[in-house]
Amino acid sequence: MQQLKLIAAVAAVFLAGQAQAQSTIKIGVVTPLTGTYAGIGQQVKWGIDLAVKEINDKGGILGRKVEAIYEDEEANPNVAVQKAEKLFQVSKVDFLTGTVNSGSTLAVGQVAERNNRLASTTVSYSDAITGDKCSPNMFRVNAKAGMQSEALAEWLVKQKPGGTVYFLGPDYEMGRSTVAAFKDAATKRGLKTVGETFAPLDNKDYSPYFGQIRAAKPQVFYTSVAGNDTVRLLTQMSEFGLTKGMIIVGAAGTITAQNLAAVGKAAEGFVTGVGYTMEIDTPANKKFVGDFKAMWKTDPDLFAVDSYGVVYFYKTAAEKAGSTDTDKVRTAMRGLEWQTPQGKKTMRAGDHQAILDMYAVKIQGGKFKIADKVSGAASVGPDTCTKF
Amino acid sequence: MTELIESFQFVYGPQMANGLAIGVAVVLMALGLTIIFGLLDVINMAHGEFYALGAYLGLTLVAKGVSFWVCLALVPLIMAAIGYATERALIQRVFHSGDRHTLTLLLTFGLAIIAEDAFRLVYGPNPYKPDAPISGASELLGVMLPNYRLFLIVAGAAIILAVWLVVYRTSLGAMVRASAFDRNMASSLGVPVDKVYAGTFAFGVALAGLSGVLLAPIYSVFPTMGKDFILLAFSVVIVGGMGSIKGAVIAGLVLTQIQSISSLFISPVWSEPLVFGIMVLFLMVRPQGLAGRLGNG
Amino acid sequence: MAEVPHLRSAVQAQERIHFGGQNLFAGLFVALALAFAVLAGASGDTFFFRLATEALILAGLAMAVDVLLGYTGLLSLGHALFFGFGAYVSALVLKNVAPSFWAAVGITLLAATLLGFVAGFVSIRARGVYFALITFGLAQVVFKAVFNTREVGGSDGIIGIPPIRVEFGLFSVDTQSPAGFFLLTLTAAMLLYAVLAYLMRTPFGRMLVAIRTNESRVPFLGFSPWRAKLIAFVVAADVAALAGSLYPMLRGFVSPELFAFQASGNAVIMVILGGSGTLAGALYGASILTALKSVIGTWSEHHLVIIGGLFMLSVIFLPKGLAGYALPRLERWFARGGGGQ
Repeated sequence: MQQLKLIAAVAAVFLAGQAQAQSTIKIGVVTPLTGTYAGIGQQVKWGIDLAVKEINDKGGILGRKVEAIYEDEEANPNVAVQKAEKLFQVSKVDFLTGTVNSGSTLAVGQVAERNNRLASTTVSYSDAITGDKCSPNMFRVNAKAGMQSEALAEWLVKQKPGGTVYFLGPDYEMGRSTVAAFKDAATKRGLKTVGETFAPLDNKDYSPYFGQIRAAKPQVFYTSVAGNDTVRLLTQMSEFGLTKGMIIVGAAGTITAQNLAAVGKAAEGFVTGVGYTMEIDTPANKKFVGDFKAMWKTDPDLFAVDSYGVVYFYKTAAEKAGSTDTDKVRTAMRGLEWQTPQGKKTMRAGDHQAILDMYAVKIQGGKFKIADKVSGAASVGPDTCTKF
Repeated sequence: MTELIESFQFVYGPQMANGLAIGVAVVLMALGLTIIFGLLDVINMAHGEFYALGAYLGLTLVAKGVSFWVCLALVPLIMAAIGYATERALIQRVFHSGDRHTLTLLLTFGLAIIAEDAFRLVYGPNPYKPDAPISGASELLGVMLPNYRLFLIVAGAAIILAVWLVVYRTSLGAMVRASAFDRNMASSLGVPVDKVYAGTFAFGVALAGLSGVLLAPIYSVFPTMGKDFILLAFSVVIVGGMGSIKGAVIAGLVLTQIQSISSLFISPVWSEPLVFGIMVLFLMVRPQGLAGRLGNG
Repeated sequence: MAEVPHLRSAVQAQERIHFGGQNLFAGLFVALALAFAVLAGASGDTFFFRLATEALILAGLAMAVDVLLGYTGLLSLGHALFFGFGAYVSALVLKNVAPSFWAAVGITLLAATLLGFVAGFVSIRARGVYFALITFGLAQVVFKAVFNTREVGGSDGIIGIPPIRVEFGLFSVDTQSPAGFFLLTLTAAMLLYAVLAYLMRTPFGRMLVAIRTNESRVPFLGFSPWRAKLIAFVVAADVAALAGSLYPMLRGFVSPELFAFQASGNAVIMVILGGSGTLAGALYGASILTALKSVIGTWSEHHLVIIGGLFMLSVIFLPKGLAGYALPRLERWFARGGGGQ
């Protein structure tokens, strides 16, 4: 009985949704709204909502209103796949975005292929997504790990040529590959590795590793931990006096708007390679930051700006193609250039990776200040996608 | 010989000193759990959430201007009240059914799900880190330890001693132990068993909350923090013996030392599974743990 | 001694009604499922078919948990271990060995039986809360191991599992076909149910119930509870793994989250909601929870609180779940309908 009633209820919603389908353009957003990554999902939502509002105020896409439909993927690829299919089949979205962890992005890419629709990630930075696991239906508008490493290594070699580096990363795919990417970029420029440790994900206490770190006496410390792990690692290192005289650098996701406040003073001087900072001094960015703060009463971070940008990415492509047909939009997307608060981005046709200028950014006084800039062309690396 | 001393001074000594600070933290967490376990024979799957609640309460009070030291006294009191209410309102309902073990486990499991999401809804998904009330670092056994961690070792020891005194040297404690040993007998001797149960649960919860406040400056506060210690705390409780304070202390300190030192030899990811493996071994070979159950010694 | 024949026939009559009611309960489920299939098929739907198929796959896991919890009295908080194991073995076979349904299922069954014996040997020595903790910990360790092992995809999981055709000799079913695969999974789930239900009505099954009721008395009756528990554990492992083996065929990928505590916890919730000790309850519980999560998840961000609350209310007020409500009524219906003596 219960089953039938529920089915009837949802069928009604589904049929009602059908009536709307023709007039609005729907963008599905499958993003973690609960769980460990909820903070990131929140920034993604804020960025997209701001973009949708702006676009609708100016007449929409191809004269049609835009609507963003959200589903919580709980940072679980199994849930992401189910919700993605729901968005494609029931809500009939034209485009999908929002996935955060690379497992979800890869799985959702497959769902997009099977539903003949396009999707893009705005957060996942695993190189494989536009590398050996690329998909003809998945795009990436944000910088990948390799690009972040290039920008950071470029800055670092100017500060400490031939310096010694100690690596600490969380022991899972993302953590290891980010460390590997930076190690590559660093050793290529003559920096030396003096040690490497991988701690479990969600590790509470990093003090057991401090002995090894002290013994190695590194000049530079690189870490790819994120979220709560960063708070614990950096504050504990600071409390133990380990940070004195060391340059601390890390991945783009290590310190973000979500954990900056908690890391507090221990974040001072931290440098990372990233595709965005609020300090970018262009009229477009100033306007974006102002509008974002006015609407959401908080600062945007790179997840917000990339998600804001993906809506404009789709808009530009659809308008260039003159339709929302998947194949036409895909063709339009390949090689597309569009404007974002970060400047001009170019979508590389060969692997669906966006090319954008990268920055080495240093935290000073609780703000992300620009320390160096590397062009998109120099940092993007070779196209390793062979699937299309 | 000198090599041995040297490796002790530079490698093992510091590692052990560190492990001590972590160990005290884990023992505090496990203490409340083992008391609830030992007396009520209840797995409190929500114990981690009470730990988190204590931390969040501490945050809120400090934000309102209450000093950290006052919080150390205030939060356990509030948590005790919450614990008492939880026991009477929820646990009591399923306590007398035949499937008690399963039902209380499931009930507290449901409570944990709700609590974690509630934290996120009220406080937001991002972490907070309160400042440690004591700053600076000093040397202990050749390693620099932050003063706050040294304070923790001392405070932790004091709390453990206090708990032991209450349970083994007061008439209140005697009532608790009697109820654990033989509920009916204790009841017929005039012990208000229902109230003792609720009170003990409240006490365990208060300990969890206190750990939350004490550990927040080291481990930070965020909605999923309740899951931080679960496996380790349960391992300590089982290896130590359900309900045994002495056991929890020994097991807690030893297991964290094993975890700490093992990270020198094997990849750190396998330290926790190692501890878990020890727990499984005990369950297979000596399920009553090192020291046996509350009421029995 | 003249009372014994009367006693036996009285018990048998009662059991007939009891089992009759259970069969009706299961049959009702099949009827509802088929009605759903007709509705969804008529509207050319894909999503709801796949969602329902996922619910049926999870129902397999839930039934396995019920065998341990509802019949043997062992609460497994880590049964996702076998579910995930089955999913991964199946995925690896389909992707790297041969895109054959029977190969995947067959190899999964063999591997899961082996794993079940090993894990069971370790876990069975413990009872009650200890058993729950061991199973919880085992699942956590395997979760972390898979999460950190690149060779099986690591934290990204394995994508690119090819869709296959399941050959039945006379006809075949394409796993890509929403309706077709749904019916296949429904058949599989009901087959598993039938096997388990039959098993639980044999002397072996009765022994499990005896163990749950009062384990210390069982040896006095001349039986070894240890052996029975081990077999029950292996059976539960096999069922969960078989259910899991269907997952990559449905979704085309697997990820370590299939081993996570959430999956084990959800299975327990399904069993409780549907009614433990009935097997069919697990079928209903899985369907209800999957539907709830999908619907509530879309309408509100607070879905975890709502589901957690529902679960707690169920534990306190409706400890026998949906079956507790439905079975007495079905039994009465069955008894009146001429099934009873």
